Amino acid sequence: MNAERFRLMVSAILLVGVSASAALIAVGFAAALAIGWQGSLTGATVPAPLPQPTDFGGLLDRLGRLEPLAISQLGLVVLLATPVMRVASSVVGFALERDRLYTAITIAVLAVLLLSIFAVR
Amino acid sequence: MNPQADLGIFLVSVCAGLIGSLAGVGGGILVIPALTTFFGVDIHLAVGASIVSVIATSSGAASAYVRDRMTDMRLGMFLELATTTGAVCGALIAAYVAPALLYLLLGIVVLMSAGMQASRLGEEIPAAEPDGIAARLRLSGTYPDRHLGREIPYAARRVPAGFLLMWLAGAVSGLLGIGSGVLKVLAMDGAMRLPMKVSSATSNFMIGVTAAASAGIYIGRGDVDPRIAGPVALGVLAGALTGARILHRISNRSVRIVFLPVLIAVGLEMIGRAAGLSV
Repeated sequence: MNAERFRLMVSAILLVGVSASAALIAVGFAAALAIGWQGSLTGATVPAPLPQPTDFGGLLDRLGRLEPLAISQLGLVVLLATPVMRVASSVVGFALERDRLYTAITIAVLAVLLLSIFAVR
Repeated sequence: MNPQADLGIFLVSVCAGLIGSLAGVGGGILVIPALTTFFGVDIHLAVGASIVSVIATSSGAASAYVRDRMTDMRLGMFLELATTTGAVCGALIAAYVAPALLYLLLGIVVLMSAGMQASRLGEEIPAAEPDGIAARLRLSGTYPDRHLGREIPYAARRVPAGFLLMWLAGAVSGLLGIGSGVLKVLAMDGAMRLPMKVSSATSNFMIGVTAAASAGIYIGRGDVDPRIAGPVALGVLAGALTGARILHRISNRSVRIVFLPVLIAVGLEMIGRAAGLSV
């Protein structure tokens, strides 16, 4: 992979990440305007207790019912995952460029990043 | 729902994204006071929205800056080694450090560097000779400057000093939970003597990773509310994508003119927080 294609790949990953995130957030918002934050687009009953906006738990179940809140939350999760995806894809990019030094540096950054997301509390 | 308030939050966020993408910072300095003062948002939810705004500014602007060769990806990755390890160390020692003193020290440093920035306002391009370490790490390149109408060669200098400052910037993020884009720009522009636009674009590239490292903590604490963070993210993205189309057309001097008030505001805000915490 040459430097030009590497750059375009990273740029595309960032753009896809932010576009997907923006689309989900906007769809969640539009749906909330129509049926309220704690409804369901599939018409399913939302089980009590109603989900709190700041509670990201049980996201998959709530997405299955197409709850506006859950759709917007997924958009935010996609946004937060975008920089991580950018670092992960850079590992591949530097490896394909056969740049050992920067492959190692990027792997180290990814490792510390994942450590800080999942281990440091 | 209150569509008027949502629209207001969206518009403020567009401004934050625009300024943040040009100055290389996350826009939290604008988002947090606006949300708490004008929209009555709880401070914790405002900080949670500001973390979202940092990531949105970073990813939105960087998608353009990386494509346009304004961001130096090697430099960014190398320095992220410093910021991410610094952030982990900062988070680990947070319990042992008095935040008031730290805010005061940082505020003074930031205001002093504002003086330095002002004196360098007229400088367009620094010297482009890499020193020994920068050459070995290949921290040099060129960027297309549409304002000057040509490719501008640049090179990093004083890499150890820059790395140390970046580590400190990371530690400060970990300690205080702030994005520290201002410190990143200062490390690259001030210590490593990179062109202002490269510093800003590379800082933009980096701040998303710093913020992503702590974003999980904020979600876990219940500080991210989609009803607020959602319009913030959408507005910031719109602003950042617009700002990213402007950066390569304007002069380095203009970038400094955007950066300088941000710097002063951040410095004053930090001293204000120090005062608020110590009483």
